[in-house]
Amino acid sequence: MDAPLIQTQGLTKLYGGGSSIIRALDDVDLEIGTGEFVAVIGASGSGKSTLMNLLGGLDQPDQGKIAIAGKSLASMNKRALAYFRNETIGFVFQQFQLLPKKSALTNVRLPMQYRRPRLNNELELARSSLDRVGLSDRIHHKPTELSGGQQQRVAIARALVGEPKLLLADEPTGALDSKTSVDVMNLFVDLNRQGITIVLITHDKEVADYADRVITMRDGQIVEDRTQVGVR
Amino acid sequence: MGSLLERPFRTLLTMLGIIIGVAAVFAMLSIGEGTQKKILESIDSVEARTITVYPNWNNGRASQRRAWRPFTEQDVRDIQVIPGVYAATGELASDYDIVSELSDWRANVQGVDAAYLKANDLTMQRGRPITETEIERRDTVAVIGTSVVRSLFRGQDPIGERLKIQNIPFEVIGIVGETDAQNWRGQDSNNFILIPRPTARSRLFGDDRLVRNQVRAVKIVGEDQGTLASIEREIDFILRRSRGLTADEAPDFRIFNFSANRQAFAESQRTLSLLLATMGAVSLIVGGVGVMNIMLVSVTERTREIGLRMAIGARGSDILGQFLTEALLLSVLSGLLGLGLGYAVSQVSLGTDDIEMVFSTRIALLSFGSALLVGVVFGFLPAQRASRLNPIEALRHE
Repeated sequence: MDAPLIQTQGLTKLYGGGSSIIRALDDVDLEIGTGEFVAVIGASGSGKSTLMNLLGGLDQPDQGKIAIAGKSLASMNKRALAYFRNETIGFVFQQFQLLPKKSALTNVRLPMQYRRPRLNNELELARSSLDRVGLSDRIHHKPTELSGGQQQRVAIARALVGEPKLLLADEPTGALDSKTSVDVMNLFVDLNRQGITIVLITHDKEVADYADRVITMRDGQIVEDRTQVGVR
Repeated sequence: MGSLLERPFRTLLTMLGIIIGVAAVFAMLSIGEGTQKKILESIDSVEARTITVYPNWNNGRASQRRAWRPFTEQDVRDIQVIPGVYAATGELASDYDIVSELSDWRANVQGVDAAYLKANDLTMQRGRPITETEIERRDTVAVIGTSVVRSLFRGQDPIGERLKIQNIPFEVIGIVGETDAQNWRGQDSNNFILIPRPTARSRLFGDDRLVRNQVRAVKIVGEDQGTLASIEREIDFILRRSRGLTADEAPDFRIFNFSANRQAFAESQRTLSLLLATMGAVSLIVGGVGVMNIMLVSVTERTREIGLRMAIGARGSDILGQFLTEALLLSVLSGLLGLGLGYAVSQVSLGTDDIEMVFSTRIALLSFGSALLVGVVFGFLPAQRASRLNPIEALRHE
C-alpha cells in the first residue's frame, strides 16, 4: 500500500497559558490515504478547526508531527509553508472568502498569482476549473451577482485551480440553505470520484453522511473513526 | 489597486497633503534655481562690480563742521591705476535747460572723462565718443542720450547739430545707446548730455572754492567680484592720504559697494525658498501621515482578503509588495498632480520680475521623487502590518 497522503503523530496544540491551558488537540494520530473522502465531525471546541489549520499548514503544532504527501511540515519555514499551501492544499471556507469586486474568473485565478514559477496558462486553468464546478456561463459575474451556492462553487473552483493533492473544506455548507447544501455536497462527491482527496470539517451529521469515513472529535481527541458507505 | 478607485473621494483627500507638498517643493526648487541663475548672471555684470565713492559731511562739533570736500582729478587718476580696476570715472553733473534750434529741454549735464562710458557700461549708438584730446583741450563737444535726441531734436539726426547750455554752444558728436539701468532718483536714465569735464568745470559749474579740479563722486568698476574688497581698501588708503586723514580718523567720504545689495537680494530669495521648503516638508509629512492612516484603514478593512491570500499561498513579501505598490501608486499620482499644481500656481501668481523661476526636468524629478519617498516611508508600516497578519485570525476577522 502507498504511504498515506496525510500522517500525523502525537499532534498536540495548546491554547492559553498558566493554569488555564486548553488542549485544543491532544495527541492525535491520524492517517488519511489518497482518494479518501473524510468528514471530521464534532461540536464547536472539539478541536476539528485546529486540526484543519494544522493540516493546511496555517498553524504549527506544539508537539507531534505532520507529514503531507511525504513532506514534513515541521521542517518548513513560513515561506516554504506558503508555497506548500499554494501547491498542495485547496481551501474551501464557510464564508466563501471571495474578493467581492472581482469577477469569478479573477477570483479563481488568484492562487496562480502566487505560484512560482508563474504559469502562462493561468486563465485557461481558471476557466476549466470554473467549468468543473458548472459555472462556465458565469465567469464574468461578480460574487454579489451570484447566489450563495454559486459563490461557494466559485470558491471550490478557486481551491481546485492549482491541482491540489488535498481539498480542505471548513463547514462549506454552513452559510447555505439545505437545498443548496445538497448541491454543493454532491459536487464534493463528484470531485472525490474524480480522485481528489477531501477532508471536510463539519458539525452537521447530514453533511458528514456524504463522506466515506467519519472521524468524530471531542475535547481535542479522536473518539470515533468509522468507515461508511457514503449516502450517495 | 482597484481599492483606490473604489473610493475616489477618500483617495483624493488622502493625496491632497502630498499634492500640496510636492507643489511647494517644486516651486521652492524652481525659485531657488531662478535665484541662482539671477545671481550667476549678475555676478559679473558691471552693476554688480560697481563701487561708488561720495564725499561725506565731517563728523564732529557743529562749529567745526564744514561743507563736504569734493575729490580731485588726481584722486580719480590714482584710483584708476589700482590693480583689479576695470574702469574708474569721476562724476560732476548738474541739470540745465538746454536749447536747440528745434526746442528746449531740461537734462542732466555730465562732465566726463574718457573712462565714463566704460564705467557705466554704455556703448555708442551712433557717432563717436569724446576723445582724450577733446577733454584736455576743453572742447565744446557733446554726446547725448536717446531721450535728448527725442525731446530736444524731435527725433531728427542731431549729429553735427548744435545745442546750447547756458548760452554756450556745443556740437553734438554722438548718441549713446539706450540703457535701462536703474536711476536711483527715479529719473529717466537716458536724459543726459555728456561734455568734457574740464569744459564743464571752466564754463558751466565753476570750480570749488577750496579744491581745485573738483570731482563730486567716483565710480569704480572692478574686473570681477573677487577684486572688490581689495579695491575698496586701496580707495580708502588713497583718499585718506590725499585728504590728510590718519588711519584711525573717521573718514569724510563713503564707499558704497553695490554687490552688497545683491547679496541682500539673494538672502531674501533664500529666505523665501526656505519658507517654501519648510512648508513643503511639513505638507509632505502631513500628507505621509494621511497616507499611512488611510493605508492602515485599508489593511483593517481588507483583513479577510489578506488572510485568504495568505491561505492560498501568498507569502508575507507578496502582501508587503501589494500594499507598498498601492502606497506608491498613491504617491505617483499625487506627485504628478503636485507637479501640475506647482507649475500652474507659479504661472498664475508669479508674474513679477522679482521672482524668477527656472523649471527643469531635474527639479521635476526631485520633487516627484520626494513624493515617492514619502509613499514608501509612510506606506511601509501599514504594509508591514498587513504582511505580518496571522492568516487564521485574519480569515475570522469580521
